Amino acid sequence: MTSGVAALWSHRNSLRILVKRDLAVKYQQSVLGYFWSLIEPLGMGAIYWFVFGVLYSRDTGRHLGDAAESYPLFLITGIFAWMWTSSALSEATNALTGQSRLITTMNVPRQVFPIGRVTGRFAEYAAGLPILIAVALVYAAHGRVELGWSLLALPLAVAVQGTLLIGLALLLSAFNVLMRDVERFMRLIIRVLFYATPIIYPLSLVRESDLPGWLKVGYELNPLVGIFQLHHSVWYPDEFPDARLLATTVVGSLLVLAAGWWSFRRLEPAVLKEL
Amino acid sequence: MADPIIEADGLGIRFVRNRRRQLRLRELFIHRGGRNAPAGQFWPLRDVSFQINAGETVGVIGRNGTGKSTLLRLIAGVLIPDEGSIQVRGDVAPLLELSAGFSNDLSGRENLHLVGGLHGLSAGYLKRHFDEIVSFAGEQVERAIDTSVRHYSSGMKVRLGFAIISHLPHPILLMDEVTAVGDAEFRKKCYATIDRLLGEGRTLVLVSHNEKDLTRFCRRGLYLDAGRLTLDGTIAEALDAYHAAVPR
Repeated sequence: MTSGVAALWSHRNSLRILVKRDLAVKYQQSVLGYFWSLIEPLGMGAIYWFVFGVLYSRDTGRHLGDAAESYPLFLITGIFAWMWTSSALSEATNALTGQSRLITTMNVPRQVFPIGRVTGRFAEYAAGLPILIAVALVYAAHGRVELGWSLLALPLAVAVQGTLLIGLALLLSAFNVLMRDVERFMRLIIRVLFYATPIIYPLSLVRESDLPGWLKVGYELNPLVGIFQLHHSVWYPDEFPDARLLATTVVGSLLVLAAGWWSFRRLEPAVLKEL
Repeated sequence: MADPIIEADGLGIRFVRNRRRQLRLRELFIHRGGRNAPAGQFWPLRDVSFQINAGETVGVIGRNGTGKSTLLRLIAGVLIPDEGSIQVRGDVAPLLELSAGFSNDLSGRENLHLVGGLHGLSAGYLKRHFDEIVSFAGEQVERAIDTSVRHYSSGMKVRLGFAIISHLPHPILLMDEVTAVGDAEFRKKCYATIDRLLGEGRTLVLVSHNEKDLTRFCRRGLYLDAGRLTLDGTIAEALDAYHAAVPR
């Protein structure tokens, strides 16, 4: 594994080139260009705000606690991070199949391709951060959120999320070469994950619900739960995951990364023949 | 004497026809199960051992489908062998496919930076030598450098690909039927460039059906038959073996 990591590091320039290429291709024929990476999550946020912040405002307000006064901020915090997750996963799935030409003629560590997709989508997420911070500052100016040490949860959230996404990207991209079904399947999975993660609703709503205990435990095994709690805790320190949830998330993400790396190495010979 | 620059030992790779039928997760993870091999497996290349020293020029000869291109891909590191090992001590400049890995959506300029960069050329180097590379690729490519590669003819693609590859400083050159699609003028340029690169002491492994190319550039010949290395000698011997197998 260490030699693989070293090879990857020595090809970080290739990674940069691929990410730049991906972004160039993505935005070259659209007028609004990179603003699309903002418009989409903001639009989604507006929809959920309309449904849960306006129509069901009484129910929503009761469960949000700290965030009741600033639900839009709560929403877009989650949705910006979710866009990174969902687009990284769906694009990483065909990272190898879609670039087979390059992969079969170029001797670079193949891990570069799925990791490049995750990095590219992270760049979009990072580009949206100023908007998020601007919204938070507006709420802070009105005294509805307080900015403090909790801001440090952001780098932690990003690091854990990056770990998890890279692991999943390696796993999915390799499997998709051998079974193209993965691509179709992922669309459903991503939709399920969106609702199975506290993005538009607070975790407390699940914890206090009437779901059977085993289901609640299963729910919190999803590393994304802790990651999104971390994201929310940037503005709402009360949401910071407890020790058990944090441990589950960090360990779970590292395990996924290890599993992804291992199976990528294992599947690589078969994948290369198949491309 | 220094270690050979390319060293293959008992090299073999197995492909599976009709993989869909026998795709099982267990088989994916457990290689070389050893139990009776499922039907449909075949070895495009097996038990191939050879050593190539720095500065040698090697032609790989064989009929269609005898594993020549597979061998080049193994040397280039874009396939991983199932058996044996291959060691390559040095960077490889491969021109395996006519398209050289270009993405159709991008312009010639972007592809040049992409492919050149992935092959390890620095952005600064590419910028400095951009005009030189493009003018080597010819007037046609020069005019179309900002249109997407989708609209290039195969001749234009191979010219641009060759122009990039020939600028790589890597000591090992791999070429698969490069001169097959170029016109006479481009071929002349190709020859001059390959001569220059060989003059610098690079190692060449060439796959071709063109005997003139083979005898011109290669001194050593590997003759492959049905995935086995049956003859390793001078290029003339290898060509003789090839002619013996293929009635003219």
